[in-house]
Amino acid sequence: MLIQFVLIAVLLGAFGMTWTRARQRVISLREAFAWSVLWITAGIGIARPETTTVVANFFGVGRGSDFVLYGSVILLFILVFKIFLAIDKLNRALTEVVRKEVLKEFPPHE
Amino acid sequence: MKVIAVIPAFNEAERIAKTVRDVCPYVDAVVVVDDGSTDATSSLAHVGDTIVLTHRVNRGQGAALRTGTEAAIRLEADVIVHVDGDGQHDPTYIPALIRPIANHEADIVFGSRFLDEMPIGIPWSRRALLYAARTFNAIVMGIPRSVSDPQNGMRAMSCNAAVVIRFTQDRMAHCSEILRLATRSGLRWIEIPVCVRYSSESLSKGQKNSDALTIAWQLFMGLFSS
Repeated sequence: MLIQFVLIAVLLGAFGMTWTRARQRVISLREAFAWSVLWITAGIGIARPETTTVVANFFGVGRGSDFVLYGSVILLFILVFKIFLAIDKLNRALTEVVRKEVLKEFPPHE
Repeated sequence: MKVIAVIPAFNEAERIAKTVRDVCPYVDAVVVVDDGSTDATSSLAHVGDTIVLTHRVNRGQGAALRTGTEAAIRLEADVIVHVDGDGQHDPTYIPALIRPIANHEADIVFGSRFLDEMPIGIPWSRRALLYAARTFNAIVMGIPRSVSDPQNGMRAMSCNAAVVIRFTQDRMAHCSEILRLATRSGLRWIEIPVCVRYSSESLSKGQKNSDALTIAWQLFMGLFSS
């Protein structure tokens, strides 16, 4: 189907880009392997959708596409939460900078 | 004994001068922390020898209190008193807040709206919410149920207690964080009754009932921050 060709072409592009960046030492070999596993797994799922059903059944989910959807929601939730944590960390750092500037004129308590 | 009042203020131009004037007779020095106000709060807070510190950008009430507390520690305060900048807190209660610390009976004294004197003008919805917050504090935060007021900003602490209680919540969740830290630190703490005046102005500018969810979220996020 057309969607499979398009998605696999995108994944092949991502795979090629990953190893180009690894050769340029922009990312480490370890990172390149991790990303490659993700691209290959996604590729298998797209080329042979029935394999996702096998995994889905193992986890008690009926259809492979449902399993992928649930997994995506969980993954996105984790990513959003990590972004919230990063923002929180930035906010605390900003407060520290603001406070240090204000307290410059006071010598630290012994 | 040197008593320093810390007053956080954000866009309180209309009330800050009166609040500072009212607090002055009960303390040795006043530190106002202007939390990035866009009005004349900073200039109007200069009443007498008041020390005015200004956050360049708004960082929240908790952050302003922490800055003021840190300044008070560096100014060698023996007792640090927290008072809101909007005039809700009655400064005549400051001597009662300080007394247990001066008598070495407590390290930190929390004001409570629900011990003897009932708050003036408090809406029933706010009262119900504070009751729910008390339960939340007990179950989720591990704050003893005996703490009667989960969100009172009027408190006094010894300098040593202020050093121990290093609260990091920048915004509204600092009240619960301070209670948690104080009740788990081994410090001696007590509550005393204080009166809080609710006016239409303070209710419109102060915390909203919907802020309860924000506070819960901030406390949750705080669990993941070092």
